[in-house]
Amino acid sequence: MSHTVTLEWRDGRETTVDVRESETVIDATERAGLGVPYGCLYGACATCTGRLLEGDLAHVERPRGLKPDHRLEGYVLLCVAEPRSDCRIEVGAEIQADLVPNPWK
Amino acid sequence: MDMTVWVLTMSTDEPSQSTDAHGHEHHGVEGPGYPTPAAMRTESEREKTAFVMSLRVGMDVDGPDFVGVVDVDPDSDTYAELIDTVEMPNKGDELHHFGWNSCSSSCHAEGLMRDHLIVPGQRSSRIHIIDASDPRNPAIEKVIEPEAVFEHDLSAPHTVHCVPEGKIVISMLGNADGELPGGFLQLDQDDFSIDGHWEIDRGDMEMNYDYWYQPRHGVMLSTEWAAPETYYPGFDLDDVEAGKYGDSIHVWDWETKEHEQTLTFGEEGLIPLEIRMPHNPEETEGYVGAALSSNILRFWEAEDGRWEWEKVIDVEDREHPDWDMPVPGLVTDVLLSLDDQYMFFSNWLHGDVRMYDISDTGSPRLVDQCWVGGNFAERQSVGGHDVRGAPQMLQLSRDGRRLYWTTSLFSSWDNQFYPEMSEEGSLMMKADVYPEEGRMELDEEFVVDFGDAPGGPARAHEIRWPGGDCTSDVWQ
Repeated sequence: MSHTVTLEWRDGRETTVDVRESETVIDATERAGLGVPYGCLYGACATCTGRLLEGDLAHVERPRGLKPDHRLEGYVLLCVAEPRSDCRIEVGAEIQADLVPNPWK
Repeated sequence: MDMTVWVLTMSTDEPSQSTDAHGHEHHGVEGPGYPTPAAMRTESEREKTAFVMSLRVGMDVDGPDFVGVVDVDPDSDTYAELIDTVEMPNKGDELHHFGWNSCSSSCHAEGLMRDHLIVPGQRSSRIHIIDASDPRNPAIEKVIEPEAVFEHDLSAPHTVHCVPEGKIVISMLGNADGELPGGFLQLDQDDFSIDGHWEIDRGDMEMNYDYWYQPRHGVMLSTEWAAPETYYPGFDLDDVEAGKYGDSIHVWDWETKEHEQTLTFGEEGLIPLEIRMPHNPEETEGYVGAALSSNILRFWEAEDGRWEWEKVIDVEDREHPDWDMPVPGLVTDVLLSLDDQYMFFSNWLHGDVRMYDISDTGSPRLVDQCWVGGNFAERQSVGGHDVRGAPQMLQLSRDGRRLYWTTSLFSSWDNQFYPEMSEEGSLMMKADVYPEEGRMELDEEFVVDFGDAPGGPARAHEIRWPGGDCTSDVWQ
């Protein structure tokens, strides 16, 4: 069954997308033309990083681009993630930058 | 020939194959490129078009990456403008480095032409073949999809060199899962089909990045970044401490395609990225820029046939008033002029590009430095454009008189160190170089702001000229 996923950008924009059975969030956002960033499409590069705010989301491949701490903090890789319930996810290019602060600053 | 007619009727660049249409004497040679580095430096025309890798990965711009075509002909009405964009068929590629189907290494091969660009996607592992026979109107001819690359248990294509005998070799940084080891993918120049791995025996090589080769001496050297799954998401010092970033280069037998020797630099050579050997095909030495250690290391073949190395330049870390720790320069690109007299490199975190006299190869002499952008330059704008990022990917004119650069490194690393780039894109800039005087000067009139790209802001990365350049061509 499909799930309704609410996407929130940090600039305040918000929209919803229906994610079908066996569809990743990125598959659905591309189908809907929402322009959520992505790169490798196999969970290695973290360009598609989002942050799960509510709901149940499962990685269907190992999210190699995330470290264990990131996963505890709710970060998800949307190119390999399928919703298991309705979800609310923070998205946009800025989210990926949360993972790696400037180490010298 | 009447030059007026030529300018009006042909594209404004160096024709892509050898020809004497504008006085390029090739002395019976029928292949692409030039018989010697000096021939390329002195007999080619001034560059009039630049191909620039342009990308939107990691931005909230819903569009694909593209090959940007920039007018660098000062006599043109569209000088210093982005005049064409060849959009990729997919999003998310991260166009990064690219190369030619053929170069001066095949100068004596009849029938070959330098007319196709090989444009890989660093993140997607997709490889685009672009017909650039008309430099002002390039077009995608073929796309090798990621699945075809993953079949060879390789990913993350980086450096492209055409090599003699009709092949193209691409350094690949990971396996099909974005983990180690990487390797080298070989394509056929005729139909751009995948042959398979170039290497026969990779020895203890696991990490890969850039490579250079000197066919006259049967040697190739490759460098190390990290596993794609490590560097793709951004730079984490914990990964350096865990040994997940490179500190070595690898010496290969170019003929047997076997790994021969590993040169391990340790702390002196953390993250050795760009590697350059002199254009003179007699030379058996070269330089590699260790990005994180911010050193230039020189390597050479000793009398016993083993390779040795030494540090020849050490960029001092700098204290930043607002930062906790001293900041390394981060040497991210290096190039040698075609006459092998000057080395240029960029310090992407500091914000300068340096020019060294390398006529005494073991003792490079700093002759000039250009500060613009970054975290330490006083000058933070050029021609009314804020400099986002800092000098990074370099390209020098064939005659050694104009140095161009772009300011983006890699989307996730840009977003980490210069986050404004993810919204506003990056820039292309230029300095005029005076080799007779050993100095260079920022050209305040030349700025291409990729923030104004059609379809929305973009980052700009590697630059190449039709007709070849300092980092594309190797001589046999």
